[in-house]
Amino acid sequence: MSDNELVLNEELRDVYQEVTNVAMGQAADSLARLLDVFVVLPIPNVNILEAGELQMALQSASDNESVSAVCQGFIGKGVAGEALLIFNDSSFHDIAKLMKYEGEIDDAVQLELEMDIASILIGAFLNGLAEQLDMSFSQGHPVVLGQHCDISDLISANSTRWNKVLTLEINYTIKDHNINCDLLLLFSDDSIDRLNEIASYLLE
Amino acid sequence: MARALPKEWDIELSFAGNGQEALDAIHEGKGDILFLDLTMPVLDGYGVLEAIRAQDLPTMVIVVSGDIQPEARERVRGLGALEFIKKPITTDKINEILTAYGIIA
Repeated sequence: MSDNELVLNEELRDVYQEVTNVAMGQAADSLARLLDVFVVLPIPNVNILEAGELQMALQSASDNESVSAVCQGFIGKGVAGEALLIFNDSSFHDIAKLMKYEGEIDDAVQLELEMDIASILIGAFLNGLAEQLDMSFSQGHPVVLGQHCDISDLISANSTRWNKVLTLEINYTIKDHNINCDLLLLFSDDSIDRLNEIASYLLE
Repeated sequence: MARALPKEWDIELSFAGNGQEALDAIHEGKGDILFLDLTMPVLDGYGVLEAIRAQDLPTMVIVVSGDIQPEARERVRGLGALEFIKKPITTDKINEILTAYGIIA
């Protein structure tokens, strides 16, 4: 596949921007209801990146803080992808409070909180995306990528199988709380053509 | 968004890439009705609503957003938006609102 085929034209980028916008709003609403908070919605980033660029993009998002992350694969209609949810470790104090968790917030508790939120955000986002694209996704089991690690370790340890990826990135923050997480949807290069085809129906 | 507007509606349509461009367009008289997104670079939708109110600008604002949290809707109503439409937008929904406000027959 030539590089040219993997560049997003402006129309398709707009489509991805809009479907991401809607899906991230639905995911945010689910989280807002769970935690009884207001989730601040950012402008989503839509890009086709090389694995190396992805690492840089993530690094700038994490603000050099240590992070914890889970990922979850999904597949449908010939499109395969991974959803990543990356938390700044400083977020867990407030998350535990909002989830009414009392007691010591050790690694096991943090993991449980992260898994709960990941399943809500990722599930709602994928539903929103699938609904708009008139498809459905099957989700795999969530996998822990790491706890309290540098973001560069997360990606370099896992990036060998990625070449070019379509990334939909949403940086959620929560009003009046110190909670910051990055939701990333990554589509591998062999899925991008198919997804472009599906997304282009929305242009008609 | 533009594709969802009623086809027979006789208007001049201007596009703004961000909130500041939207305010500039209103100052130039290009925005009797403003379809406003909330998440935008430079100046977001809340900032636009605040500016419209502070400067008492002559425009009717219909917010079109993917932010379906009840608080978002309350905030924009509080800032003077006439209506809030959830994305993804449909022609039927726009027709319904424009008809309700007597903008189209």
